[in-house]
Amino acid sequence: MAAPVQSNDFVALADIALHNPDLQAAVGAGTRGAYARRADTLFAHSHEHGQHMRQQAAAAKRRALQGLPALLERAERNLRANGWEVAWAEDAAQANALLLDIARRHDVRSVTKSKSMLSEELGTNQALAAGGLQVLETDLGEYIIQLNDELPSHIVAPVMHKTKAEIRDIFMRELGMPPTDDAEVMVAFARKMLREPFIQADMGITGGNFVIAETGSLGLVMNEGNGRMCTSLPRVHVALVGIEKIVATVADYATLTQILASSATGQKLSVYTNILNGPRRAEEGDGPEHGVLIFVDNGRSQIYGTDYAEALACIRCGACQNACPVYRSTGGHAYGWVYGGPIGAVLTPLLLGLERAKPLPHASSLCGSCKQVCPVDIDLPRMLLDLRADLVQQRHSDASWDWAMKLWALGMTSPTRYTVAGKAARAGQQLLGEWMPGILGNWTKHRDFPPFAAKPFRALWRERAASRNPAAKRELPS
Amino acid sequence: MSARDNILRRLRAAQPPAASPKSPEPRHMIPLPAMSPQQLAEHFVAAAEGLGCHVYRLHDNELLEQLMELLEGERVVLGWAEDQLPLPGLPGYLQELGIDMLVPAAIDDVAATARVGITGASAALAATGSLVVESGRGRPRASSLLPDRHIALVRSRDILPTLEDWQAAQQARGYPAFRHASNTVIITGPSKTADIGHQLVKGAHGPRELHILLLP
Repeated sequence: MAAPVQSNDFVALADIALHNPDLQAAVGAGTRGAYARRADTLFAHSHEHGQHMRQQAAAAKRRALQGLPALLERAERNLRANGWEVAWAEDAAQANALLLDIARRHDVRSVTKSKSMLSEELGTNQALAAGGLQVLETDLGEYIIQLNDELPSHIVAPVMHKTKAEIRDIFMRELGMPPTDDAEVMVAFARKMLREPFIQADMGITGGNFVIAETGSLGLVMNEGNGRMCTSLPRVHVALVGIEKIVATVADYATLTQILASSATGQKLSVYTNILNGPRRAEEGDGPEHGVLIFVDNGRSQIYGTDYAEALACIRCGACQNACPVYRSTGGHAYGWVYGGPIGAVLTPLLLGLERAKPLPHASSLCGSCKQVCPVDIDLPRMLLDLRADLVQQRHSDASWDWAMKLWALGMTSPTRYTVAGKAARAGQQLLGEWMPGILGNWTKHRDFPPFAAKPFRALWRERAASRNPAAKRELPS
Repeated sequence: MSARDNILRRLRAAQPPAASPKSPEPRHMIPLPAMSPQQLAEHFVAAAEGLGCHVYRLHDNELLEQLMELLEGERVVLGWAEDQLPLPGLPGYLQELGIDMLVPAAIDDVAATARVGITGASAALAATGSLVVESGRGRPRASSLLPDRHIALVRSRDILPTLEDWQAAQQARGYPAFRHASNTVIITGPSKTADIGHQLVKGAHGPRELHILLLP
């Protein structure tokens, strides 16, 4: 069981988003605000320094990926030395089965959860519900979308696509909140609603931002404090961590946790930057009695040996989403699965298979903003282009597109055919005006097709050459 | 074969990705010039206040007065064990004024509804205005997490420039020092969220107010 996939419906979903004025206002404000705050913080000292830190962060993640299998083993040893129980899952079914097994072993009745994108991949909430265990999302954004039965639309701000008024309506409808327009009142209301579940919970589930191999520590960042509740109050804490979250050293962690905060929200550090070294010690009064860390593959090891391996360097800051002109227009749900934006357009086909996300590599203008803002310098435009090539090679592209490209190649590889085609196109345009036949009409519905020049370049060149030096006429191949 | 072995085998069978061609000289994320302790303290105060913390730089005799103002009307507060706080005799002093300082183990109704928590901090970071708070014997996590108002008692000499400096100091004591606490949290300002209408609101789940009493 995993999250439903609708990525092949990108165009239809984008169309819905483009006609939703609330979403347009909310995503526009959210992405532009975060984009500006990132630059303010990252380049506060100097532009050169900010770029230097991006290279430093990129190098740290590349080092970790290069030595991944050995670092995973080292991390496992050190995690165990700190008292963590370490488990491994190849896919969603194994990960969710482990969670249910841990819950049964520890007689868990209630579960609170702190935001984890990996758990969205795994469909953890649905799987645990099917196993008789209700999971309560506690990040405010995740809480709201759980109430409204949606997926997160942004890696960092799951409810970025909703306005304050829409959220107010959800709270009133689902929780009976008294009417208010005050965000502070709404936050205080949610705080009150979640306090008792936090204290009563038997098990807390979190993700993980980093695992430090040399110390066996889990790095976890948050601003609200809900993750601290989930890792401090229940008897059992389980962390779901992708195998690519490893960093080699404490120094690398220091670089990455800071650049994550500045790239995601323009903070120097997240409000709560947690370093978790296993369950509570004997001399401690509170904290979980059991800590389990589950390393989850779920398709990552299949990407590892390919030209797309750098996608595994992603630290899930959402900066590429905030920068992307497509994401800014459509929001995250249009991408039809867990991850939206440029990183989603790359990760979705890689994790699910190209045939389940055919439009996504094309959901980009290739403007390059995503690469420019990426804190670990992932070449997203290059991978989007390579995925487009894969689409053609694996014959997932539209039949009419293949047909058009073949025709184009035919015309471009023979001067005679090129000349004839040019003449035909000019004559055709004069005859038909703005009307284009068949699927080509979709293109001109919203755009003007530029008129062909009255005289083609080749004719102009021949005339120019002839007027200067009659002998030059022969230099141009006919 | 176990899941673990399958995953590691697949990774080992693959050609590992190349390391980054550019591996620059390591720098601190936030470069600070060399500072005197006085300047460092000033930098810390400015950074923490910029985050919405209330910071008090106090002489010994003003300290308790300020603390009493923040505890006005409270009967029970959460705290740390006496020997874990940089203010000797604090629990006894509060007791005389009719205030119980609990060092919570189980979260009962009293602990869950206390409005104020008092803790120390292992270090403070000037560049980010952060407090490093480590769990341990007599240092429950709940005291810096559950109440609405968190009061942190910080010694000025524990202020370090950056996160990297704190980690270097930890590492200089050996890796067990870095991981000696089961839970280290670097607190940078009061709890906040911007999930509702992209408007910044304090006090999402953790403390809404963070008061830092800077001891000489």
